[in-house]
Amino acid sequence: MPADTVTGTSVPMPPVRSALSEPGWVRILLIGGALLFLALFLLLPLVAVFAEALHRGFDAYWTALTEPDAVAAIELTLIVAAISVPANLLFGVAASWCVAKFDFRGKNLLITLIDLPFSVSPVISGLIYVLLFGLNGLFGTYLRDMGIQIIFAVPGLVLATIFVTFPFVARELIPLMQEQGSDEEEAALVLGASGWQTFWRVTIPNIKWGLLYGVLLCNARAMGEFGAVSVVSGHIRGETNTMPLHVEILYNEYNFVAAFAVASLLAMLALVTLVVKTALEWRFGDELAATRH
Amino acid sequence: MAIQVSGITKRFNDFTALDSVDLEVRSGELLALLGPSGSGKTTLLRIMAGLESPDAGGLLLNGEEALGLKPRDRQVGFVFQHYALFRHMSVFENVAFGLKVRPRGQRPSSAEIRRRVAELLELVQLSPFAGRYPAQLSGGQRQRVALARALAIEPKVLLLDEPFGALDAKVRKELRRWLRKLHDDIHITSVFVTHDQEEALELADRVVVMNQGRIEQIGTPAEVYDHPASAFVYEFLGQVNRLDCTVEGGIAHVGGGALAIATDGGVQGPAVAYVRPHDLGVTPAAGGPARISGIHVVGPDARIDIDLAGLALEAEMDRERLATLGIVAGDRCSVHIDRARVFAR
Repeated sequence: MPADTVTGTSVPMPPVRSALSEPGWVRILLIGGALLFLALFLLLPLVAVFAEALHRGFDAYWTALTEPDAVAAIELTLIVAAISVPANLLFGVAASWCVAKFDFRGKNLLITLIDLPFSVSPVISGLIYVLLFGLNGLFGTYLRDMGIQIIFAVPGLVLATIFVTFPFVARELIPLMQEQGSDEEEAALVLGASGWQTFWRVTIPNIKWGLLYGVLLCNARAMGEFGAVSVVSGHIRGETNTMPLHVEILYNEYNFVAAFAVASLLAMLALVTLVVKTALEWRFGDELAATRH
Repeated sequence: MAIQVSGITKRFNDFTALDSVDLEVRSGELLALLGPSGSGKTTLLRIMAGLESPDAGGLLLNGEEALGLKPRDRQVGFVFQHYALFRHMSVFENVAFGLKVRPRGQRPSSAEIRRRVAELLELVQLSPFAGRYPAQLSGGQRQRVALARALAIEPKVLLLDEPFGALDAKVRKELRRWLRKLHDDIHITSVFVTHDQEEALELADRVVVMNQGRIEQIGTPAEVYDHPASAFVYEFLGQVNRLDCTVEGGIAHVGGGALAIATDGGVQGPAVAYVRPHDLGVTPAAGGPARISGIHVVGPDARIDIDLAGLALEAEMDRERLATLGIVAGDRCSVHIDRARVFAR
């Protein structure tokens, strides 16, 4: 009965150390160090935000979130994001399309310009708009005569946010589209597709995941932006305060519960962004890999 | 005449990719554009498809002026070097694409599309793979999907850019034969670009040899191989011994008189003689002027390196002949040239 020898209990293999594995204490030190670092610098602050926000109980937390100024700040933040994210979505796709599929003079200049908001301090970005559209600015008198207010009003907030967040979508898409080349678009054109059909049926499906990433990051930044928005806002409560600005005002007034309550919403936004990103990677990992190669 | 190219010129900045090229592609033939990289062959193919526009010249497709037409209106099938399959679509969707993007009035019903795609997948022997994605296919399979996709729009002309370039040697050979057979079956006017002379000679009805944006020679594979029109064609097609010589009174003297070749006249003074390795005969001779410096057996053939007074020559013969001669490396021998072509230098 030769089968017996196979079905018998397995003999434990002696532990084999591969050439690439480290001794136990090194592994523990490295992993432990990384975890400690993460806990100290990422997890602890997050916990602190929620702990502080809730330490007078849930009612105080809820009141802080539902008082009119807080609601106005949340609404304003959503409005600003709702305008600037789609604007940058369009801009990002158009810019990366240009950069990746065409050769033209000044291409490198365009790429550098796209990166500008990353290299310029957000405060400067805000100041630029004040210098342009403020009362004493370049177009100030003209705008006042026309009855248009940009600085210390919603348009200024939107402009500053668009400026600060405009690299996100383009940065995500340019390398992706460059790597993919324009062979598939050419194939579609030869097969009889119009430019519009080619864009919707070939280009967009190939970049949709990169696009989604870019939009998620862009949205997170649009809602969380502080510096540029702070300069152009004027900090009028209930009118031109976005959530981050509202947090600052409350904090300066020693209203810690309310400040951390609003801050916790921003923290949750960050968490949701991360969760969605991870979920997408997990759910569509194969497809993701397929469009990248 | 399926395609008529007249005086096509194309420049990329300072580089002239095509220099006033004239070419006629006959209906139903399989034509190879053969040349080294940078010879302009792919540019010419892309101009035919409408993917590039020339700086000057004219193009007729089936007798109609085509340069003003967009790629989508030219009714050409194009197979890209790296296939350019739509990576997010299944094999079925890829092949159906050209039918599905047609304007509503000309679009077949979805049942008709399914039938046509099934037919094409049958033709390229990929029926079981309709649901797969390009990433799940081998190189040869992708190539056949690309072909089916190009044929789906019932093109008048099929253009293939280095169709076998990205495949390994064995698959390449199989697919080559298969494509030849397919062409014999459906007789669609086809132009393919290649830098592989063996591929061009085996597959094509006619071969167009290109160099530096110009056409060097057009002819059947036998014509261009046996009667190369220029020194370039001689060097590019197959192995060749290139011998500097001086022609006097119809005799080409090579290597300071070590070898004399009779020429058919016309050339005088400094020249270059081209001799195919299999046109170079070797006879064992104890006191001969040449020495066998090496013998390499490659499959059924043998390549023999010969040193003729400092001049390196290469001969080729089958192994049987090698055995009959009984030569080994180091032997002395004499060489004679059965056939040579002499071009003025």
